[in-house]
Amino acid sequence: MFYFEDVVVGEPLETPARTLTEADVVGYVGLTGEWDPLTTDEAFARHSEFGARVIPDLLPLCISSGLGWRVPQPPLVVRAFMGFEWKFFLPLKIGDTIRSRSRTVAKRSVKDGGVVVEEREILNQRGEIVQSGRLTLLVAKRPPA
Amino acid sequence: MAQDDRRYFEEIEVGEEYLSPGRTVTETDIVVFAGLSGDYNVLHTDAEFMKTSIFGERIAHGLLGLAIQSGLLTRGMRPYATLAFLGLRWKFKGPIKIGDTIRVRAKVIEKRETSKKNRGIVTLQRQVLNQQDEVVQEGETDVMVERRGS
Repeated sequence: MFYFEDVVVGEPLETPARTLTEADVVGYVGLTGEWDPLTTDEAFARHSEFGARVIPDLLPLCISSGLGWRVPQPPLVVRAFMGFEWKFFLPLKIGDTIRSRSRTVAKRSVKDGGVVVEEREILNQRGEIVQSGRLTLLVAKRPPA
Repeated sequence: MAQDDRRYFEEIEVGEEYLSPGRTVTETDIVVFAGLSGDYNVLHTDAEFMKTSIFGERIAHGLLGLAIQSGLLTRGMRPYATLAFLGLRWKFKGPIKIGDTIRVRAKVIEKRETSKKNRGIVTLQRQVLNQQDEVVQEGETDVMVERRGS
C-alpha cells in the first residue's frame, strides 16, 4: 500500500491507455440517464459542428479514475475524494484512445491523514490534452508498525 | 429533425432555479460504475473492509454521484442549446450510501458574453441533496450556450 508519507510532490505518473467504445457510451448513458442528443442521436450529431456522436464529457474523467489504479506503484490509500476543478478542451469520439498523466503538486498533513492535491491531464492518441484539472484527496497515513 | 425545444442564451435568466426528481442509488449502480470506470477502490467494492471504516459500509464513487446528478438534472429542466461543457468546480461533502435517494437543486448564478457574438457562458450552481436534505455534493458548472438566430 502507498500512504501519505510515500507520496512525492512533483513525481509524474502516466497510466496505460484505453480506447473509448460505443459500449462505454451506451453503458454510461444508461447508468446516468443523461440522454444528450450529441452523444446518443447520430442523425442529430452528424449535423453538429462535431460531425458525429461525441463521448459524454464526464465519461473520460470517470475512466481516468480507473486508469489511475493501473500505474506501476502500489495503490494509494484514499480515504475520501474531497473535490476537484476540471476543464474540457477538446471533444472525444468513439474509437479515440485516452490515457492520463498526473503529478502531486501539494501535500499537507491534517488531523485524520493527509491532503494530497493532484494535477491530472487526459490525453488523446495524438498526445493532445483533451481535459485537465486539479483533484484533492484525503489520504491515510502509514499506521504505526 | 424534431422540433427544437432547447433554450437559447438570451432566454435564460440569472436566478432561475431547477429541481430534479429523486433517484435511489443502488448497489447495482455502484457495481456497474466500478466496471465501467475500472475504479474498484475498496471504498466502493469491499463490504467487509468498509465495516471497519468511518462510513461503516460501501459508499458510492464521488464521480458516480456527479454523473448521476448530471443525468438527473436533465429531467428537471428544459435543455439548453449547449455548444460545450467548459468546466466545473466541485466538492464532495458527504458520502452517498447504498439506498440513499438523491436529487439536484440548481440555480443560474451568472451569464457571461464571450468574444464570439453567437454564444455565451452560463454558470449553474448545483447542490446534490440526500433524503435527509443534507448537501452531499455541490459545485458550479460552466456551459457554452448558443444564441437564437446565430
